[in-house]
Amino acid sequence: MVQRSCRRKRVRVQRQRATLQQGMAHLGTKVVGESPSLKREPLKFSAGKVAAQRRRQHAVTIGKERREAILRTKRLCRDGVVGDNEDQVDAGMILDEEGAALDAQTNETVGELKSALRIQGKDALRKKLEVLRTLRCLLSKSTVPPVETAVQAGVVPLLVECLSFGSPDEQLLEAAWCLTNIAAGEAEQTKALLPALPLLVAHLGDRSSVPIAEQCAWALGNVAGEGEELRNILIAQGALPALARMMLSDNGSMARTAAWALSNLIKGPHPWAATELIKINGALDAIIRHMKKADDELATEVAWVVVYLTALSNSATSLLVNSDLVQLLVGRLAASECLQLLIPVLRSIGNLVACDSHVADEVLAAGYGTTVLNASDNVMGALVKCLSSDHRVLKKEAAWVLSNIAAGSLAHKQLIYFSDALPLLLHLLSTAPFDIRKEVAYALGNVCVVQSEGSHQPNLILDHLVSLVDRGCLPGFISLVRSPDLEAARLGLQFLEMVMRGLPNGRGPKLVEREDGIDAMERFQFHENEHLRSMANELVDKYFGEDHGHLDED
Amino acid sequence: MEVKVEERESGISGTVEEEKEGLDFPYWSVIRRKYDPDAPFFASGNIERELLSKQVALDLTQDEEYELSNMADAEHGKICCPIAGCGAQLISLEDFEDHYLSRHSASCSVCSRVYPTSRLLNIHISEAHDSFFQAKVARGYAMYECLVEGCGAKMTSYKSRHQHLVDKHKFPDSFEFLKKHHPSKRQRQRRQACSKKGAVDQKMRGVREEHQKREEREDDQKGIEERKGMDVDGTIEDLVSKVSKLSTADSTPSVVSFGRRHTRGLAFVPRNLQREKKQDLLTNKKG
Repeated sequence: MVQRSCRRKRVRVQRQRATLQQGMAHLGTKVVGESPSLKREPLKFSAGKVAAQRRRQHAVTIGKERREAILRTKRLCRDGVVGDNEDQVDAGMILDEEGAALDAQTNETVGELKSALRIQGKDALRKKLEVLRTLRCLLSKSTVPPVETAVQAGVVPLLVECLSFGSPDEQLLEAAWCLTNIAAGEAEQTKALLPALPLLVAHLGDRSSVPIAEQCAWALGNVAGEGEELRNILIAQGALPALARMMLSDNGSMARTAAWALSNLIKGPHPWAATELIKINGALDAIIRHMKKADDELATEVAWVVVYLTALSNSATSLLVNSDLVQLLVGRLAASECLQLLIPVLRSIGNLVACDSHVADEVLAAGYGTTVLNASDNVMGALVKCLSSDHRVLKKEAAWVLSNIAAGSLAHKQLIYFSDALPLLLHLLSTAPFDIRKEVAYALGNVCVVQSEGSHQPNLILDHLVSLVDRGCLPGFISLVRSPDLEAARLGLQFLEMVMRGLPNGRGPKLVEREDGIDAMERFQFHENEHLRSMANELVDKYFGEDHGHLDED
Repeated sequence: MEVKVEERESGISGTVEEEKEGLDFPYWSVIRRKYDPDAPFFASGNIERELLSKQVALDLTQDEEYELSNMADAEHGKICCPIAGCGAQLISLEDFEDHYLSRHSASCSVCSRVYPTSRLLNIHISEAHDSFFQAKVARGYAMYECLVEGCGAKMTSYKSRHQHLVDKHKFPDSFEFLKKHHPSKRQRQRRQACSKKGAVDQKMRGVREEHQKREEREDDQKGIEERKGMDVDGTIEDLVSKVSKLSTADSTPSVVSFGRRHTRGLAFVPRNLQREKKQDLLTNKKG
């Protein structure tokens, strides 16, 4: 078993803002519901850490529900889109209350909002704002935000009212923030936002102030992350061009939020949205520009947009392939050390290579440019880097990309065969976790065979096959034959067939036997899958039949 | 039959089986594999994305992250044991290997065939290596048990049992319980070494861990064989080996007769002995 070190790792550096309430919680006192304006103590650092620690404990121990929340493609907004907003902090409510007390408070606050919306006069604005802030704090600072309670209490229509045109900026911001976190909840809660959607989309417009537009984009990103139905509604309401325009922005934070929201919006499964996005004026340019210059965080979100474009839309793929984007992707893949960025970049390249030979050629050509040719700058070098990394996802998807490259022409196969990737692949075949080994098997097998038109048996590239076998790939394939995974077992059997048919002088069966291949194949006699049973039986009958044993010279 | 690559380009590799039409063996097919963005193939990458990006600053330790990503995997990655009739659900590959080795690798010490349950192994041993079984069959007893546990049916011949399996239990017609097995020279040598050590009906094969080195594996195997040898009850072992000798010895005459009629009874006696005996009888008669 792999040893795991208990090294603490901060998932993402956040602007941790502690409040007195957090500090009080640390000291064990509970602060209940009024609104005193308390001064901030300089306990900031440690209190913040304690709160984070409590959140962590909750996140991991609270169970399935919490896990699902973390794994959703939604993002809870805890710190807002505006930087260093000191006055938000003094809004003043409890933050580590839980359960009934928190619910009670939420209900109370919603009630207050309702009343605040009815009053007229000078004071009305201030009051509304105060209550909104309280509500927003409840929904953003609590360990488990009381979203369900708030929705049940009827908060959404109230927030919609707060979003009306002409409202002061701060009000819009707070309302949008509340809606963002409600949309980060479960399906029912997100769907409750339906009446708010047109307004949120409207506030994405270029007349809105940047923070407001960004906060609305965030809310919409959460809504889009919920499901196809909501995505379709948002697209119908014109969210796509609005978000695309925001992605063009020079404001890094806004572009990043917009890109993330777009990735949730176009993810399909219907390719329509992806196809529409690429048609929008300036979208492709923005993508290219950000991939070239942006920092890791922005580039990551844009890369995810590219992932969905390349996976879903053929027209997008052709446009992207004919642009500079491929070069930029390869460059990022080769140069970056940031896992967050590498995953979508690698996957985009993978999606491209999986299309067809022509596109794969373009991808391989990238890097062989006019400047100094550094082997590690091109895609093969980058893939080798991924194969050597510690990260399981990178290894698996890099092997997948290589298997698709190896599905190409003889030249492609030779490229892989003579590269540094090959020894790595062989090593991974024996040592890596199962899902990686399966991809590696595809890659190695594809390197040894050329698909032929018209004849039954594919043509073996004997040099490659013999070399791989000599370098010890057989045990790995036989191990796949033993696995309970049908696809892997089939792959293993197919490779064994090639080895036993292809190796000259009957070496194949002998080697297979030596590695206990017969035993592995005979496991299938009681296997429930008929195809595999007959495949295995055929091989055993053909190569280890009647006259076997007598010819055995070893 | 022409292999169409284009058809399968958008599919996931599971469609390769279709090309079997007309081919005896579904050869390795070189295809590009493209996956939809929500395909399970991408799940681990998607999970990684969410873990890395959550705005909640969870100070996750590596263990917790590992646990989280495994949690989501485990929910749709359950492994089902593929041995017919087993249906066990395992959580991981290691789990599966353990399960397989403890439940499905009963092997016959006489011919090295492996069976998924000890019941099937016992049936095999009776049918293939037991002369008493054959004797009873010859006398018309219904000795051939149905292979499906709980059925209880017994038939008088291998063929009729096969027919029963096909008719009553939907076995494929091509299924052969007593399949011809041709062990390699190495296996035959190993088998002889085993019977010398006195291993009885069941021997457990060594654990095959992908990550263990070959040497370790072989040592393990020898160790297990030795342990089994020591566990065996001496008398049972003797009995079994004697019975085996009885059934397989070449010198057993097919007809045994007692009394002075020497012609038929001595059918298998070697010629030189035969001559001597004749002489004795002649001399006896004379005397």
